[in-house]
Amino acid sequence: MQELLDFARGPLFRLTIALMVLGLLRVLILDIWGAITAYRRAGDRQLAWGDALRKTIAWLFPVKRVFTKRPIYSLCSILFHIGLILVPVFFLGHVQLWKSSIGLSWWTLPEFWADLLTVTTVVFGLTLILGRVGSAQARYLSRKQDYLWIPLLILPFITGYICTNMVLSPNWYVILMLIHVVSAEVIFVFLPFTKIAHCVLMPLSQFILALAWKFPARVDDKICTTLNKKGAPV
Amino acid sequence: MKAILTDITKCIGCSECVVACKAYHELQEDIPRHWHRNDGLSAYNWTAIIHKEGPHYIRKQCRHCLEPACVSACPVAALVTTDEGAVIYKPEKCIGCRYCMVACPYGIPRYDWEHAVPYIQKCNLCHDRISQGKQPACTEACPTQATIFGERDELLAEAHRRITAEPGKYIDHVFGEFEVGGTSVLYISDIDLGFLTYPVKSGDKVLPKTTAPAMSAVPPAFFGMGAVMGGLYWFCKRRERLQNEKKNEEADS
Amino acid sequence: MNRLSVTKSILWFITGLAVTFGAARMFFGLGAVSNLSDATPWGIWKGINVVPGIALAAGGFVVTAIIYVMRHHEYHRYAKVSVLLAFLGYITAATALVVELGLPWMVWHPIVYWQHHSALFEISWCVILYLTVLFLEFIPTPMEETSRFAGIRRFLIKYKIVLVFLGIMISTLHQSSLGTLFLITPEKLHPLWYSSLLPVLFFISAIAIGPLMLIVGVLTISTLYNKPLEMDKLSKLAVISMIVLIVYALIRWIDLAATAKLAIAFTGSWQTLVFWAENSLLLFIPIILLAIPSVRRTRTGLWTATGSAVIGMVLNRANMAGIMFVATGKAYTPTMYEIVISLGILSAAILAFLFCIERFNIWDVKWSSDEERPEASPRFGHASDVWLGTPRIAGRMVYSLVFVFSLAVGLAILPVNRIQSAGVSDVPAAKARGGATLFIDGNRDGYGVVFAHDDHAKRLGGDSACVQCHHSNVPMDKQSGCHECHRNMYVNADVFRHDWHAAPAGGNLTCNACHQADRQRTAETAVACDHCHKDMVPTGATITLEQYLAPSYANALHGMCIACHQEQARVLAEKPDLGRCASCHTLDDVPMYLPDDVITAYRDTMYNHVVLPQSNSQTDGN
Repeated sequence: MQELLDFARGPLFRLTIALMVLGLLRVLILDIWGAITAYRRAGDRQLAWGDALRKTIAWLFPVKRVFTKRPIYSLCSILFHIGLILVPVFFLGHVQLWKSSIGLSWWTLPEFWADLLTVTTVVFGLTLILGRVGSAQARYLSRKQDYLWIPLLILPFITGYICTNMVLSPNWYVILMLIHVVSAEVIFVFLPFTKIAHCVLMPLSQFILALAWKFPARVDDKICTTLNKKGAPV
Repeated sequence: MKAILTDITKCIGCSECVVACKAYHELQEDIPRHWHRNDGLSAYNWTAIIHKEGPHYIRKQCRHCLEPACVSACPVAALVTTDEGAVIYKPEKCIGCRYCMVACPYGIPRYDWEHAVPYIQKCNLCHDRISQGKQPACTEACPTQATIFGERDELLAEAHRRITAEPGKYIDHVFGEFEVGGTSVLYISDIDLGFLTYPVKSGDKVLPKTTAPAMSAVPPAFFGMGAVMGGLYWFCKRRERLQNEKKNEEADS
Repeated sequence: MNRLSVTKSILWFITGLAVTFGAARMFFGLGAVSNLSDATPWGIWKGINVVPGIALAAGGFVVTAIIYVMRHHEYHRYAKVSVLLAFLGYITAATALVVELGLPWMVWHPIVYWQHHSALFEISWCVILYLTVLFLEFIPTPMEETSRFAGIRRFLIKYKIVLVFLGIMISTLHQSSLGTLFLITPEKLHPLWYSSLLPVLFFISAIAIGPLMLIVGVLTISTLYNKPLEMDKLSKLAVISMIVLIVYALIRWIDLAATAKLAIAFTGSWQTLVFWAENSLLLFIPIILLAIPSVRRTRTGLWTATGSAVIGMVLNRANMAGIMFVATGKAYTPTMYEIVISLGILSAAILAFLFCIERFNIWDVKWSSDEERPEASPRFGHASDVWLGTPRIAGRMVYSLVFVFSLAVGLAILPVNRIQSAGVSDVPAAKARGGATLFIDGNRDGYGVVFAHDDHAKRLGGDSACVQCHHSNVPMDKQSGCHECHRNMYVNADVFRHDWHAAPAGGNLTCNACHQADRQRTAETAVACDHCHKDMVPTGATITLEQYLAPSYANALHGMCIACHQEQARVLAEKPDLGRCASCHTLDDVPMYLPDDVITAYRDTMYNHVVLPQSNSQTDGN
């Protein structure tokens, strides 16, 4: 067991974290590249820069939505995301891991806040699943990965909470720690290739949406040619 | 020309020279690395005592050849011979090609494989000390006068004097008098010191002279090839022209 | 997936691995990833990338000489490919040099610091000059894609013959001076390879291999892009090479016979096996196959003959540059990381080759638009069934995914232990053996120190003196041996087991039991072991516990003995040599488990041995 844990913390961790970082970089670069190509080809270079920017900021800091439409869902989502981002990065144990492996350390969450945020993430994660299952519209729109992601995301939070806050026999500790590490690594691996990639793509999505409605220059002629109606007014 | 004479029969293997060398040059402590040759020398040991049955203790260090292979090999003149005869290393010029390590017939230069900014490391005959008129740290530290410092001619004379004074005690040969064109670090011994170099001995062959003919052939080869190619070009072009004319004539007729 | 995209994916994968390992080499030094050593300072980077890279680039000057100097215009079609191959060969060599040199950012030094006796100096100049020439020969091809440089392009094409001449002249020097490089190592290079004719041999073999390498390049294009071959022209080129190979073989074997080295080839050592393998690959197989017209006119025959010659050539140069430095007493086996870096540089070069022939007007495989590419079948994402875009974008998606994946795999299999230990081999310290007299040989190499344990105890004050050396014990123990904490011979050992203590790890202590409350939990803020383990440090011990690391065995014992010995050497007038290394380390080879009386006898001779002539005269009076 201990060997498995060492392997999961060592080579497997390096592999998955590298896959995540490089994979996210890859989708980011490919998306920007694709967007630039699309923009170059577009006949109409007018883009509502201000509008896209405003929408992006509204998505990144969704304070307004809490007070307007679907307040409960928005609040759950925000609280879920706060814990999801802060705890893995600023939990003391993780910072110590970074320090011992790459020599960098940064500010850490106080223990109380770390525990609190873990609990809120788990609770609101479960609430989000319930909300999805409970609403017929949401059920209709959901894919399989939408149901799978939230349990997978809160699994390391649950095991991590147990490991830090309960007295365990060493065997149970190792098993839970293994689940904690491996589930986190599974998240890392699938992150760049599924919808969770929105963690880096979100700032771009509004611009890409805006670009997606641009057609290449003189595309109307081509369409007419294809339809054997050359010269017809569009 | 300064030199060091080491009398193997007098060495007691106390390693004071090694300690003095490391202390003077502020070399870091040495622990076994996978890139070491097992002869005691390393990037942080510029001199070492080799134990042989007997007991015999042989101090290994840079031989400071009179015509050093490393100096002739170095492409940027980072290794140079000083007026005193010391072969010294200038790290600011080095590019890290390690050709000196390949060329040295005694396998003396060592590399700092551990660091991302590595340099060649070797004995420099305490060049800064001898230029001030002092003797190297190692010979100064020797408690039995087994390794002594002085002018090369005087030390050679002293070596031959010792050999003739006690003919049964020594092998009748001053190691380093003629090998690879002569070295500044000389040995007299009661055992054969051939193991200090590689199994295939260069003997008295001066190593820089093995590449010298090829190097001096560089300008003739360069321009010779140019001339040959020029001639060939002229010939082929002429042949081509004649063939074309012939073809044209045939076409005309 | 078709043949081309599989090939490209594999090449991208190897390149990605090599990029990670190459970065590790740059950050952590040569020792971290390679098995290069003080015995074999040059290895396969020099042997597979640098030296053969230049030899295989010889097509650049041989083929241009055939076309432009000897006016064989029927080969004109091959000029661009051979120049591209030569250019990439030199780029490969230069890239490998960046990995291989200790201080690659100093690589320009030969331009400033001249040392014209050195073969390597000449080589550096040749590389710089010929790279420039090849660049000027190659650059008109990419310039065709844009009209911006039309003037420069016309100028370069007009004076092409000058570049061809310069290329031939520089190459002559360069190929032969690579042989000169090894002239200076008569005592290290194996006699079957060492010859005073090395410069000539290198030059002739380069001429032979140049056209063969061009044929390999053309065959690769033809196989990957399904293009027909001009068999008659290729086989004619191959015959030229074959004739030169025969000349090379004659010179090499007559030289071997003339210097009476032929007998060595039949001694059956592993070196002779490599010698025969090299000769078969480079000489026998190609010469025989190419001599038969029906063989050399088939695709398989040509592939076998030229491939064998190219591999033989690489083997020949690798033997010269590292493998056959046999007299150095230590065998060199490259690490996996070295091999991957070598292959990665080659893969990157092949990718660059494919890129150039696809984008530029070099061969008839240039694609005028995306849809003409061989991978042009529509692409859909595996998970999403979403169309991935035009073939160009789809290719970009696939290759970047492979590349990213290989980078991550590379990071996962980095030699972390090698990097962290900085080349130190892990040597667990051994227990000292014996009774009243201990034989201390921590690294079990048979060389050790004989330590009169009871004698020291008596001298230092009987039973109460134990604590002076046994300064701390393993909990619940008395007089623990040094090796129990100082576990490694050369590396500091971590003696604190976090997981045995801390509650989250199954112990029974909270964090604050050791780390002071309200402060960052680091080793510095933790209390020492004897805070709880009261019996761990005996009262009156000389050393206090400050950290959780035990110094290496060698350092610990040196620290323990030397301080006291030097002090005693100062205090005791009759033993001035007590502070010397030789007072402990003189015995050459103490057999293990000696009877006590023998060791005592050894010890006496040891002490006597150290009494020096001058010291004698001083101590005579006492």
